Amino acid sequence: MDNLLQGTRDAVHLLISMDPEFLEIVGLSLFVSLTATFLAGIVAIPFGLTIGIKEFPGKKMLVRLIYTLMSMPPVVIGLVIFLLLLRSGPLGRFRLNFTPTAMIIAQFCLVTPIITGVVFNGTKERGSEIRDLAKTLGASPSQTLWLLIRELRINIMSAVVTGYGRAISEVGAVMVVGGNIRGHTRVMTTTIAMLRNMGEYSLAIATGIVLLLISFIINSLLYHWQQER
Amino acid sequence: MHLFIEHLTKSYDEKKVLDISRLEIDSGCFWGIIGPNGSGKSTLLKIISSLTAPCQSRILYDGLPLNDRLLLDMTLVFQKPYLLRTSVFQNIAYPLQLRHVSSRQLKEQVEEMLTRFQIEHLRDQKAWTLSGGEAQKVALARALVFKPRLIMLDEPTANIDPTSILLLEKQIRIHYETYRPTVLMVTHNLQQTKRMCDQVAFLHEGTLQDAGPLEKVFGGHAHPLVHSFIQQGLI
Repeated sequence: MDNLLQGTRDAVHLLISMDPEFLEIVGLSLFVSLTATFLAGIVAIPFGLTIGIKEFPGKKMLVRLIYTLMSMPPVVIGLVIFLLLLRSGPLGRFRLNFTPTAMIIAQFCLVTPIITGVVFNGTKERGSEIRDLAKTLGASPSQTLWLLIRELRINIMSAVVTGYGRAISEVGAVMVVGGNIRGHTRVMTTTIAMLRNMGEYSLAIATGIVLLLISFIINSLLYHWQQER
Repeated sequence: MHLFIEHLTKSYDEKKVLDISRLEIDSGCFWGIIGPNGSGKSTLLKIISSLTAPCQSRILYDGLPLNDRLLLDMTLVFQKPYLLRTSVFQNIAYPLQLRHVSSRQLKEQVEEMLTRFQIEHLRDQKAWTLSGGEAQKVALARALVFKPRLIMLDEPTANIDPTSILLLEKQIRIHYETYRPTVLMVTHNLQQTKRMCDQVAFLHEGTLQDAGPLEKVFGGHAHPLVHSFIQQGLI
């Protein structure tokens, strides 16, 4: 209990003091997770919409695969990406391990199936109806896609928020591919894990509170934007 | 729009739901598509509007196979219409926006539709707050606003109140008489068919049993099946 109270006090202190190192950690966390979510959204939203409205051989198997990947442990994804990016690995020549880019790649792989799965679930309910309406009113394929995005925006927003939540809160993948290097790949979740190992519980709690606060602000902004639309 | 349909078949899981050897629909005619449940009426409209792929068919629109240009000239109104998650005005404006109509013309045409369907008071209301009858009025206004040359209506007045039915029928008929599109209307209502249509196609178990002018199909020499269904009140 003392640690929790002290953690709350430290969180306030961290926010007021504007410690440059802490701000850098927060900034990198946001940069990595928002970039990964944004890139995953570009791929996963059209993909989820497409499999939601189209019938094709192997669709059931593909959906099962996506659902399985949705629950993939981050540390496993981190390990696979780490091995692929290893100097002796197939993508080793890019020398990306222990860089923020590798962390973005890992989180992208983590978040893409989540956004795809959630968008797919929303699309299979109403997607065909929307597509048929667009077609009967003379919409082109690109206009139909845009209408689908517009009509399913709440579902898409939920998918993006869920994906972002998963990205910002995960520790396994970024720890494996990033290595938690001070001033380079250290993010809030890896900081918390490190502080816990060092026995700095109140500071770990403080970082957790700041992480929650940032998530709350971003979710509130997205929710507000969704309501406005 | 002139329609020529030949060798049209559609099956679901080996079960044949539609098998029409030939049906010709002249431009500017108002057709009623009638028949009991499961006779393939809605499937026929979905195939003509290219929402459903047939197993086999030769369909010509004004003598041509379907293309993007022709798709812009036709519409299908569903029995349970889907309205966009926006205002009534925006719903009716949507097909005009797709056709890049100028904002002044768009406003004029949408306002005209709101007046014709007596829904001016719903102009800014969100579509999901509408009753079934109001939603159907909006869907019809949206389908007619861009003046398509082929209008397909799948039971457009099912499950709505009698006053709204009369209004919708009147507006459909006025639109038809003003612009002379080809209209295909699926209906279960025999009286409505007689009020609205000039030509009738009678489908039973996916096959075309009879087609032609109203007085021929429903007249003294009606097809025995048509006669029997009328007697049983099945259409």
